Amino acid sequence: MRILRFQYLSRRRILTLAVTVMLSSMLFFTTAISLLGFYRGFNAYLGEGEDVLVVYDKGSSTPFTGLIPAHLAEKISMVNGVLASSPEVIAPCIVRGESVFLRGIVPEDFFKLNELKMIKGEAFELSDAYSAIVGRNVAERLKLKLGEALLAHGILADRYVELRVRGIYDSQSFLDDEILAPIYVGQWLRGTDYGHVTLIRVKIDRRALSPATVLEVVAEESSGLTHSSPGGGRPLEEPIIPRVTVRFRAEYVGVEEATRFMKSYMERYGVTRESLLTLSIMVFLFSSATIATASEILVTQHAGEVKVLRSLGASKKLLKMDILAKLLPWSTAATLAGIAIAVATLTVIQGCGCLRVLSHTVPVQLDPLVITLSLALALLLSSISVIKSEIL
Amino acid sequence: MSSIALRLLFRKGGTASSILMIALLVSVLSSTQSIINYVNLQSETLGKLVHTGGTYLILSRNSTSTVDSRVEGGLTAKLGNLGYVKRVVPQKILMATIITNASSHTVRVRYVHDVLEFLEGLGAYLNGTVPKSQTEGCMGELLARMIHTDVGGEVLLDIDGKQLKVRVVGVFRSQTQSDVELLTSMETAEIFQGGSDAVSLIEFSLREGVDSREALNQIALLLPGDVKVVQVQRLREFVQQTNTQTLVFLRAWSLAVYAAIATASYMIAIKLVTESSYELAMLRALGIKRRLVFALVLAYTTTAAFLGSILGVAIGTVGAQMASTALRWLLPNVDLAPFIEADQAVEAVSLTLVSSILGCVYPALRLSRIRYMEQPL
Repeated sequence: MRILRFQYLSRRRILTLAVTVMLSSMLFFTTAISLLGFYRGFNAYLGEGEDVLVVYDKGSSTPFTGLIPAHLAEKISMVNGVLASSPEVIAPCIVRGESVFLRGIVPEDFFKLNELKMIKGEAFELSDAYSAIVGRNVAERLKLKLGEALLAHGILADRYVELRVRGIYDSQSFLDDEILAPIYVGQWLRGTDYGHVTLIRVKIDRRALSPATVLEVVAEESSGLTHSSPGGGRPLEEPIIPRVTVRFRAEYVGVEEATRFMKSYMERYGVTRESLLTLSIMVFLFSSATIATASEILVTQHAGEVKVLRSLGASKKLLKMDILAKLLPWSTAATLAGIAIAVATLTVIQGCGCLRVLSHTVPVQLDPLVITLSLALALLLSSISVIKSEIL
Repeated sequence: MSSIALRLLFRKGGTASSILMIALLVSVLSSTQSIINYVNLQSETLGKLVHTGGTYLILSRNSTSTVDSRVEGGLTAKLGNLGYVKRVVPQKILMATIITNASSHTVRVRYVHDVLEFLEGLGAYLNGTVPKSQTEGCMGELLARMIHTDVGGEVLLDIDGKQLKVRVVGVFRSQTQSDVELLTSMETAEIFQGGSDAVSLIEFSLREGVDSREALNQIALLLPGDVKVVQVQRLREFVQQTNTQTLVFLRAWSLAVYAAIATASYMIAIKLVTESSYELAMLRALGIKRRLVFALVLAYTTTAAFLGSILGVAIGTVGAQMASTALRWLLPNVDLAPFIEADQAVEAVSLTLVSSILGCVYPALRLSRIRYMEQPL
C-alpha cells in the first residue's frame, strides 16, 4: 500500500504549523544572533589573535574605566619582540546630545594595531590638537561631516573639548562607533593626568616573546629596576606630551591576551558563549510548546482521514512516518524562512540604531552553529510531536 | 448560561497546557527584563558614585562651535547679580595663526577678563606669571611644546591679517583643552575685534547646596531666546542613554515574543474549537447565539492568556533570580540580583492580552459564522 501518494493533509493546516515553526525559529535566531553578536563584538573590541596583548588595571570593574601608568607603553615598546605598543585612553562622552566613546590614541602606534580605511578626509597626527577622526557609524548617527566642529562633554570629568572632524573611517569593527582623537584629548575627558592611560595594547611577535615577559617588564618597572631619571631616555612617543613617571604596584597591573581580557570581564557577569547559547535554546524550548500543540492539532484535525487510512490497513507507525515525511520539508522551509526574517528584522533594527549596547552597534553575523541548531531543534521538535501523537 | 458554558470549556483537559504555553513565552520576556533592570540599576548606582561638577556654558543656540558662538556680554553682569551663582567667566574664543621664527600654527586663543582667576578655576599649575598688558599671554604647556616656545618667548599673532606680537609670560598645565590654547586678556581681543561687547560663551557654576534645576529655570528666564545653557559634565544623560539602548533593543525583541504569543493564542483557540466541538455543538443545540460562541472562544483564550501571563511573569522573575543565585554559587565573582518593576509586570500582562486577542479573533470569528447544521461533532 503506497499511501504516500495520498494528499490527505490539508495545506492550510500545514501552513499554520509552518508559521508556528517559523516564528519560534525567528525568536531563537533573533535572540542567539543578537546575543552572540554582542559577545563576539566585545571580545574583538581590543583586537583579535594571540599576538595582541592588553596591559590593564586589575582593579577596574569595566574595561573602559581602569587607569595604568602611561610610561609603561614606552618601556614595553623597547622590549625585543614587541611590534607595537599603543597607549589608549577610553573616555565616554556626550556629543550632539548622543552618548559616544572617544578614544585617545597615539596615531603612530595605534595604526600599527588597527588598519583603518579612511572613507573621507585623512588621519591626524599627535600634534593636531583640535582634530578627531570619527567612525562611520558615529558620523551617520551624529550627522557629522568633514570639517565640522564637535563639542564633546565629559562624563567622568567636568570638562569639555571642541574638535574638528578631520576624517571619517571604516574599520568593520566596534571602532566604527567611536571617535579617535590625540591621546591627551582622551586624558582631559577622562579626567586623568598625562601620566595615566586606560590601557596599553601591545602587538608581539609570539616566536620571540610571551605575555609573561611583558609582565616581567611591568614588575621590573614597578620595582624601579629600570627606572630612568626624569627627562632621560627616549621621551614618550612625542615630545609634546609631558613625561610623567608614576609610581605603581605591579600586582594592580595585568597583562593578558586582548580577547581573553574582554572575555574575563564578561565572565564576571556570567556572560559566556555557552551561557548565551543556552539562553537562546531556552527561549526556543519555551516557545516550542506552541509547535508541539500545533503538531498535535494537525493530527487531531486529520483524524477522519487517518481513520480511513487505518481501516484500509495502514499501520500506526507507517502513518506517523508518512505524516512526518510530509511535514519535515515544511518545517525545514519554515525554519529557513524564520532565519531569513530574523536576519532581515535585525538588519532593519540595526539600521534604525536600535541594536546598540554601550553605544556600540551590535554586528549581525550569520553563525553556522546557530543555523544548524535552529534547524535541528525545529525538526526534532516537530518529529517528537508527531511521533508522540495519538493516532487511532 | 454563558458562565456555565465557559466553565464547561475550562474543565476540558487542555486548559493547563494552554496556560503553560503562554506562561513560558511570557517568562522569557520577564526574565530578560529582570536581568536588564538589574544591570541598568547597577550602572545608575555607579553613576551616582561619580562626583558631578556643576559647570555650565551659555552658547548661542545656532552655533556649530564655540568660535562661531556669539553671546551678549551684558548677560555676565545679570548672572553675577544672582546670589546662587558662584563664578561667571565670559570668554572670547578666536582661531589665530601663531607665527614663530621656525613655523606657523593655527591655534585657538581664549580671551578672559582675569587670566589668574580663570587658571585657578581650572586648577592649573603656572610656570611664570599672568599677562599684565595687551601684548602678553599665557600658553598651554602642550601648545608651548608644539611650537617650541617657553616663558619669555615671543610669538606673532595673526587674525584676519591683523598682527600683534605677544610675549609668553607664563606656561600652564591645566589637564584641559586650554593646554593647547593661548590665554590672553579681553583687552587683547579688542585689538582684533574692536570694542565688541559680544563674547563666545559664558561659563558659570552654581554655589554648593543650590537646587540646580530651580536655579537653571530662573537663569533661563533671564536669557534671550537665541542662547542655550548646557551642562559641561553630562553623566546622567550618558547613563540614561546607554540604559535606553538596552531597553530599546529589548522592546524590539519583545515584538517577536508577542508575535509568538499571538500564534500560541491562535493555537489555543483552534485546539479549543477542535477538541470541544461536541460541547460547542451541544451549546448551539441548547440555543446559544453565534455572538456568544464568539465571546466564549475569546473569553476562554484571553482568560488562559491572562493567567498564563501572570504565571509567566512569576516564573520568569523567580527563575532568573534562582539562576543568578546558582551562578553566584558556581562563580563567586558573578553579581546578579534580577528584579521586575510593577509597571513592567502590568505592561507584560496587558500586551499579552492584546496579542492573545489578536491571535484568537480569527478562529473565534470563523466558528461563530458556522451554521448549526455545519457544526462538527
